[in-house]
Amino acid sequence: MNTSGAQLWLDKIHQLPELAAPFNLLNVCGGHERSITHAGLRGVLPKGLNLIPGPGCPVCVCPEADIALAIAIAMQANVVLLAFGDLLRVPINRTNPCKLLPKSVKSLSQAKAAGADIQPIASPLEAKKIAAQQPNKTVVFFAAGFETTMAPVAALLTEFFSHSLPRNLLFLISGRKTWPAVRKLLADAESAPIHGLIAPGHVATVMGAHEWQFIPDEFKIPSAIAGFESESLLRAFHSILQQQISHKPQLENCYPQAVKTHGNLHAQTLLDRCFKVTSSQWRGIGSINNSGFTLVPALAELDAHNHYADISLAIHEAYSQNTMPKNCKCAEVVMAKGLPNQCPLYGTSCSPRQPLGPCMVSDEGACRIWWSAGHE
Amino acid sequence: MSKRITLAHGNGGLLMRELVEECFARKLANTHLNTDLDAAQLNLAGNQWAMTTDGFTVQPLFFPGGNIGSLAIHGTANDLAVSGARARYLSLNAFIEEGLPFSELDNIISAMASAANEAKISIVTGDTKVVPRGHGGGIYFATTGIGEKLPEFQLHPNRLQAGDKVIISGPIGNHGIAVMMAREDFGLHSEIQSDSANVWPLVAALRQLKNPNAVKLLRDPTRGGLNMVVHDWSHFSKLGIELCEHSLPIQPEVNTVCNILGYDPLSLACEGRIVAAVESSIAEDLIARWRNQPLGQEAAVIGELTNAHQQVVINTTIGGQRLLSPLEDEPLPRIC
Repeated sequence: MNTSGAQLWLDKIHQLPELAAPFNLLNVCGGHERSITHAGLRGVLPKGLNLIPGPGCPVCVCPEADIALAIAIAMQANVVLLAFGDLLRVPINRTNPCKLLPKSVKSLSQAKAAGADIQPIASPLEAKKIAAQQPNKTVVFFAAGFETTMAPVAALLTEFFSHSLPRNLLFLISGRKTWPAVRKLLADAESAPIHGLIAPGHVATVMGAHEWQFIPDEFKIPSAIAGFESESLLRAFHSILQQQISHKPQLENCYPQAVKTHGNLHAQTLLDRCFKVTSSQWRGIGSINNSGFTLVPALAELDAHNHYADISLAIHEAYSQNTMPKNCKCAEVVMAKGLPNQCPLYGTSCSPRQPLGPCMVSDEGACRIWWSAGHE
Repeated sequence: MSKRITLAHGNGGLLMRELVEECFARKLANTHLNTDLDAAQLNLAGNQWAMTTDGFTVQPLFFPGGNIGSLAIHGTANDLAVSGARARYLSLNAFIEEGLPFSELDNIISAMASAANEAKISIVTGDTKVVPRGHGGGIYFATTGIGEKLPEFQLHPNRLQAGDKVIISGPIGNHGIAVMMAREDFGLHSEIQSDSANVWPLVAALRQLKNPNAVKLLRDPTRGGLNMVVHDWSHFSKLGIELCEHSLPIQPEVNTVCNILGYDPLSLACEGRIVAAVESSIAEDLIARWRNQPLGQEAAVIGELTNAHQQVVINTTIGGQRLLSPLEDEPLPRIC
């Protein structure tokens, strides 16, 4: 961390006029929430500046049906299922009488311990390597994530067009776009009043700063794009407070070394080539228009939904309710209708050891971040 | 389905501690078995000895700064060293997977021989098994070591007190990141080398302190990293520990890779570092002596034990505070 830079921005924030009323500042990136919490920024910022975590964790919003389908496919003979790490631990509801899954298997991690060949991976490139190494197995890559994750998945998918993908590699896509959920949140009267917004640095790196221009334009609130160091975050907080003071909401790019106005055009081209944007389920929240990535028809033969059509249908029927665990407030936390420690399960029956809700599972989930850092 | 072992039961974190204490130690209890220590303390023929055992399953077998062979020597010697004992004799069990190229085996055993010679350790007995292809990661080792106890040190968790300083001998996280990068899983490249080394010279240097008995406890932060060492100490002593983020030696490149992948350097394994808990009166003397050693040039006081609470707290660089939670799950790279 560049301490002197961070301290400089912190000093500048404290030199601003005192806040006349509580100011709710939303962040929409799990990485931001981690950085804020790990640096202890809430303890050094002016009183009344409330940093609120939002929908910034792809694991937290991945629907039950997608995870249940991944488990069911993984339990088929001769299948290797690959998934990004945190997804392995997300529990799903098993009171549901779906005969495709053993009743006691409630997560990919439990399916793995029960014998399914499930491997956590960190990069889409590993999927290609593993599929090439095991040509006699069907390798299914369960790819969940936001734009930042789906762009490298798209880079791998385009190898299909040059015939360089292993023929035994399939994709179970569960990708989502971030801004439609943020727009829904800001338009929702039940969410906390949001007075300013920190836009996600990684997503903006791919999609461009301009994708977040709707915040000041449509909702007339201050906003800034921030990186993940304390210095960048504090600079963004300062910008937002200054916009508030001057009554001139805009979008300031406080992460210019990585974020350009139009983003990474190559990555966007890959996304457009491989995915169509459709309505998508968000766990506990419901369907959001134009928020999901699904494979384009030209890639249909790579789609695990097609290869396992019967299983896919049965699982989606069984998990059509897309429920949260009883009394779990993860969906409310994601949509800024409550803070992690306002959930009755937080730190009692739901903890990192035995997470009940998805926000306690992922390192990008607000509940886990708060509990691990000592928020009670 | 009954509860099953997961990878998290072997990561050096809370689940592993519970597994060792509740499954193994409870059933195998005897007067010599103490899971709070890295090695058993034995009185044999009137002399004090320490005995330890360790297993090595690292993947890949070769990584920048070492391989599974040198690691097996360093790991076992270091467990003895932080128990205040100089490693003398080792046994070696090799579990070799069918198909391992002889050239790789030669390189591994050569590195093992060099590490043992350098540390003046004799491998005095061994056993070899070959397991069918697919039943091992190329080669696994199990080693048992015994070492001569130094009379200067009375290292035990029950000596920890509020006010004791926590000192680390060098930068953390290098071994964990070097091994991850060597797996080539991430499409990232780095020059980060493992810190794998025999830490005995650092322990030997402590003998020259004016008051060696003021060294309360030593640990090598392997699986679970510095995180689990300080949590274990807090757990055993019923004291809190305050770490100073600003003082933690972490190389910028390690920090960068951790930021990209979402790892916490505090929870990554080191294989050539020591964490010490000492009376504050000798902290400065100790730092000076370690910094004179090749392995200790970045030694730093990183925290203090306190009776104000029973948690591990980090005072952050910007002036905030946060709790450090013990490692539970297997550390996994971030999704986004």
